[in-house]
Amino acid sequence: MPMDEVAIDHHDAHDHKPGFFTRWLFSTNHKDIGTLYLIFALIAGVVGYTLSGLIRWELAEPGIGVMTQFVAGEGDVAIQNAKHFYNTVITYHGLIMIFFMVMPALIGGFGNWFVPLMIGAPDMAFPRMNNISFWLTVAAFVLACISMTVPGGPGNGFGGGWVLYPPLSSTTGHPGPAMDVLILALHTAGIASILGAINFIVTILNMRAPGMTMHKMPLFAWGVLITAVLLLLSLPVLAAALTMLLTDRNFGSQFFSPAGGGDPVMFQHLFWFFGHPEVYIMILPAFGIISHIVSTFSKKPIFGYLGMAYAMVSIGVIGFVVWAHHMYTVGMDVDLKAYFVAATMVIAVPTGIKIFSWIATMWGGSIDFKVPMLWAIGFIFLFTVGGVTGVVLANAGIDHALHDTYYVVAHFHYVLSLGAVFGLFAGWYYWFEKMFGIKYNGVIGGLHFWLMFIGSNVLFFPQHFLGLQGMPRRYIDYADGFATWHMWSSIGYAITLVATLIFFVGLVEAMIRRRKGEANPWGEGATTLEWTLPSPPPFHQFNELPHVTNKGGH
Amino acid sequence: MRHLLAALCAAVMASPALAFVPQDGALGFQPAATRIAERIHVFHHFVLIIIVLITLLVLGLLLWIIMRHNRKANPVPKKFSHNTLIEVIWTVVPALILVAIASQSFPNLYYQDVVPNLQQITDKSDKLIADGKTAQQERFAKDYYPEAAEKGFVNVKAQGNQWNWTYTYPDLVDDSGYPLEFVSNPVHVGISADADNYAGATGRTDFASKPRNLGVDYPMVIPEDRFVRYYTAAADVIHSWAVPAFGVKTDAVPGRLNEGWFLVEEPGVYYGQCSELCGVNHAFMPIEVRVVSQAQFDSWAEFMLAGDYEAAYATVDVFASNEQATQFAAKQ
Amino acid sequence: MAHDEVKHDFHLVNPSPWPLLGSFSVIVTALGGVTFMKGLFGLEAGTWWLLAIGLSMVIWVMFGWWREVIKEGRVGDHTPVVQIGLRYGMILFIASEIMFFVGWFWSFFEFAIFESARVGETWDSANALYADGLSRFAGWPPVGVETFDPFHLPLINTLILLLSGTTVTWAHHALQHNDRSGAKLGLVFTVLLGMVFTLLQAYEYSHAAFTYDGTLYGSAFFMATGFHGAHVVIGTIFLAICLIRLLMGGMSADKHLGFEFAAWYWHFVDVVWLFLFAFVYVVPFLVYGG
Ligand code: HEM
Ligand SMILES: [Cu+2]
Ligand SMILES: [Cu+2]
Repeated sequence: MPMDEVAIDHHDAHDHKPGFFTRWLFSTNHKDIGTLYLIFALIAGVVGYTLSGLIRWELAEPGIGVMTQFVAGEGDVAIQNAKHFYNTVITYHGLIMIFFMVMPALIGGFGNWFVPLMIGAPDMAFPRMNNISFWLTVAAFVLACISMTVPGGPGNGFGGGWVLYPPLSSTTGHPGPAMDVLILALHTAGIASILGAINFIVTILNMRAPGMTMHKMPLFAWGVLITAVLLLLSLPVLAAALTMLLTDRNFGSQFFSPAGGGDPVMFQHLFWFFGHPEVYIMILPAFGIISHIVSTFSKKPIFGYLGMAYAMVSIGVIGFVVWAHHMYTVGMDVDLKAYFVAATMVIAVPTGIKIFSWIATMWGGSIDFKVPMLWAIGFIFLFTVGGVTGVVLANAGIDHALHDTYYVVAHFHYVLSLGAVFGLFAGWYYWFEKMFGIKYNGVIGGLHFWLMFIGSNVLFFPQHFLGLQGMPRRYIDYADGFATWHMWSSIGYAITLVATLIFFVGLVEAMIRRRKGEANPWGEGATTLEWTLPSPPPFHQFNELPHVTNKGGH
Repeated sequence: MRHLLAALCAAVMASPALAFVPQDGALGFQPAATRIAERIHVFHHFVLIIIVLITLLVLGLLLWIIMRHNRKANPVPKKFSHNTLIEVIWTVVPALILVAIASQSFPNLYYQDVVPNLQQITDKSDKLIADGKTAQQERFAKDYYPEAAEKGFVNVKAQGNQWNWTYTYPDLVDDSGYPLEFVSNPVHVGISADADNYAGATGRTDFASKPRNLGVDYPMVIPEDRFVRYYTAAADVIHSWAVPAFGVKTDAVPGRLNEGWFLVEEPGVYYGQCSELCGVNHAFMPIEVRVVSQAQFDSWAEFMLAGDYEAAYATVDVFASNEQATQFAAKQ
Repeated sequence: MAHDEVKHDFHLVNPSPWPLLGSFSVIVTALGGVTFMKGLFGLEAGTWWLLAIGLSMVIWVMFGWWREVIKEGRVGDHTPVVQIGLRYGMILFIASEIMFFVGWFWSFFEFAIFESARVGETWDSANALYADGLSRFAGWPPVGVETFDPFHLPLINTLILLLSGTTVTWAHHALQHNDRSGAKLGLVFTVLLGMVFTLLQAYEYSHAAFTYDGTLYGSAFFMATGFHGAHVVIGTIFLAICLIRLLMGGMSADKHLGFEFAAWYWHFVDVVWLFLFAFVYVVPFLVYGG
């Protein structure tokens, strides 16, 4: 969004901050809360990433090995315990990465930091509610971690996969309290996200600076707005499903219990009605970030701004009517499957519009390959790879062969680990200087990118081959014919591990060196409002609202 | 590295000779053993070509931009941000591509998902022959096997349990009217006692020849060239009955009965694995399907009904080891 | 805080301990709930005190938090633009509540409409083979379940809720015209009607011919109507607090957001009931039971 003339008043001199504890524990400041979210996501990300390391270590070669190190018992007893432990590891890996890493980082972290800055608002609409969104997310994480350590049934923790399908998640499969704690953890995370969603929608609808119409609003704000709507409308349905599960488990209701006439597949419908919008919840903010980065470093306005915004809107809308493409094998009527095939494939059109519009934004540009731009270009290509395999899976006929195999694992990691997470790092390197007022070392950032790019492709690309050969998901041990590609996949993980260490090296280096950041390190291409503020911005910005009087632009 | 190269070569040459068990280093599907799987593969390759082209297009554009539209090559950025024509193109063309995919997708889906009506197949085939449309009849026969249709269905029910499969043959009943029903246990559950447990339970000495994590003690057996209608059900939690070479995967859901079909022409041993997380031993409840001649099937069934499981097994143990099965496939 | 410098009307809220305390009490409540249901950390199932502590903390936080909000409203933090934001917020909250009920209705419809199709029906061969096991899916409400006659208590309850919808509107109009005693009277009626509804519902529950646990119909019925009942109780409390604030001299003719929100919430609860009445009580009764 080009802002040709922007009037701002900084008030640096009166930038009083509250004392340490008040500031960070009782915060009502969107930037501080954003920072808290980012720190939290970093911690949860390390936990989730460690869990995935355990998975890849175990799968590096056939047989059950590594997992026996982490469980009680010797010999065959240990192996038996390891099987359940493995199931809990994959379960909490998925849940933590989704609910406590990607969502808090993209929405809570960057959303909080930059939605108000980009739309010229002094803070979020409900700053105190903003804080409980954050602390409830922490509470949910604490509960999830507790649930990992209390009896689940076959062992400690819940080992039924992040999708929580009953009857494996009802008392049949996991009679212990771990699943109950987990349900309440997800309820808590859900409440946190609903409150956050309300906050973002109200902020964006009600607090845009004078002159900033919806059609002039930066695309990141658009992305967060649509994400928030998806959250608001999908999470309550998950809450209902989780409540049914909870009462089935504890009070004798029969929603998902076949013995009483209930239906386990009902849960899957409710879950995926949330679950599919959820996958877009994780990617739409990243779409927004990528748009800004591509435009900034190409020094060109975003190509087809309105098309970009409404592509996201249509992705959000269609995203609500495709959920059962996750359920092609449950025994649905064939006509119903045909409908979901058609609806799902429609989503590829707006997704394609986004990809091509990014390319067109770069076209004719004067591209500067700074670190954020590397991540953005990586995102565009890898997200394309993930998107096209989505089109493959959309065809129920093919999905019958590929459902619940590593092909699906490869698909969603290309759109998430190489999509959403690349978007996340892109945003991190794009806004680092703005948020923290210090510069990072570009060489370290570039090294981080290249290692991550290579590592995650080595990690996830072979999983397509495994899936096509028939390797099922969520297996602690596999037939010998899957060994080679599993080994390569684990080697890929090792490369990303080095990359991740370099990421932290870069962070520490920047913190030690404390090179002073500039208000706008990126130059003429960076046109959104946050670059008009100093780095870091004052504790309360826009005490006098900016007037957006942009005439040109799109 | 040599390993990888060898794997790549093997996979690229994709000899259908290597059958039935997952092949190390393979890049694609297991060889198709049913028309369903064959059609999935054809359709998948069609989509694969499209998505590879799209991905290469995006990659090519990105590389072009990186080389030609960077700061050095193009110091002054252009300022355009609109081009209605191109926007219409990249909306309409992908939509058309999707229509093309869908045109293949729906017939493919309905073919595999609708259990055929055997009477209609026979009638239609007869009619085509009567009308002298032999070419058409041949094409029809490729998908619908009129000769097999005349023999009716072989019905099998696969019930998932934590953690094995129970197979029921409702049409094979003993003297007192009970259908044939038996439990198919995994040979491997990853523990050191696997070999002893297997020998103890079956009295067999062929443990070493059982492919790890795929073999079972009493496989599901079906006759070649027959329409098989299978049902899936579950006793406890959700499981999923899947055989990659057949191209089938159907969840086994407690309280529900799901249905599917397939027809295998070539005798052999085919393996699959449970494909829905079902708890501790999810990775250890494989599916083994032995496809044998009708005569072998009949005598197998007779022994099974009589309760002599080992004698029954011996009649279908025509592929004494996995190696043999592979060689058998190679002969095709 | 450099509040004197601020040249906009948005509300920059002061730091507050309530969010942190609220989250902590949620952890205690959740763990207390699981302890009560299942037993946890060596505590026996049925141990209630942890849950009780958690819930009292939650209530304490709500009280403290909303008291802060009311105070801020009084000192003028709720400028017109902030009021618009609060309104949007409440509407969105109700939207999410609607989606919560969508979940319950969805499962109710699925169970009712696809009761027979769920197993076997589309796969007719299956029916023949496994007919015995499937007979329990023969209809909705399942055979043997005696449902409520919708045209007795449920109809009365419908009228009560509709009436309460009019009394709350009456109270609102009165307040807008600064007729405070009219507003109080209208609210008193609304609160009383809400309480009568809850009592009648409890009475009806106690006379149900089917149980909550062990039967699908009972689960679906009691959870859908029960969550509605819980919302009636919350709405009644919400209205009662408005009444108390009115009695204590709070709220004015031109600024009474709390009252408006309580009224919106009440109408939402009302509409949910109409859907429940139509689809959970009347339709099954007419189609299957009547
Ligand atoms: C072109 C657009 C896309 C299409 C057509 C598509 C299609 C599908 C389909 C059909 C499945 C089910 C596969 C199966 O379980 O058998 C699936 C799974 C999945 N997709 Fe996508 N997808 C698309 C984009 C995305 C995006 C953008 C994300 C997230 C950022 C995503 C995340 C996932 C996840 C997480 C799963 C697996 C969930 C699970 O089973 O655990 N997809 N996708
Ligand atoms: Cu999806
Ligand atoms: Cu399983």
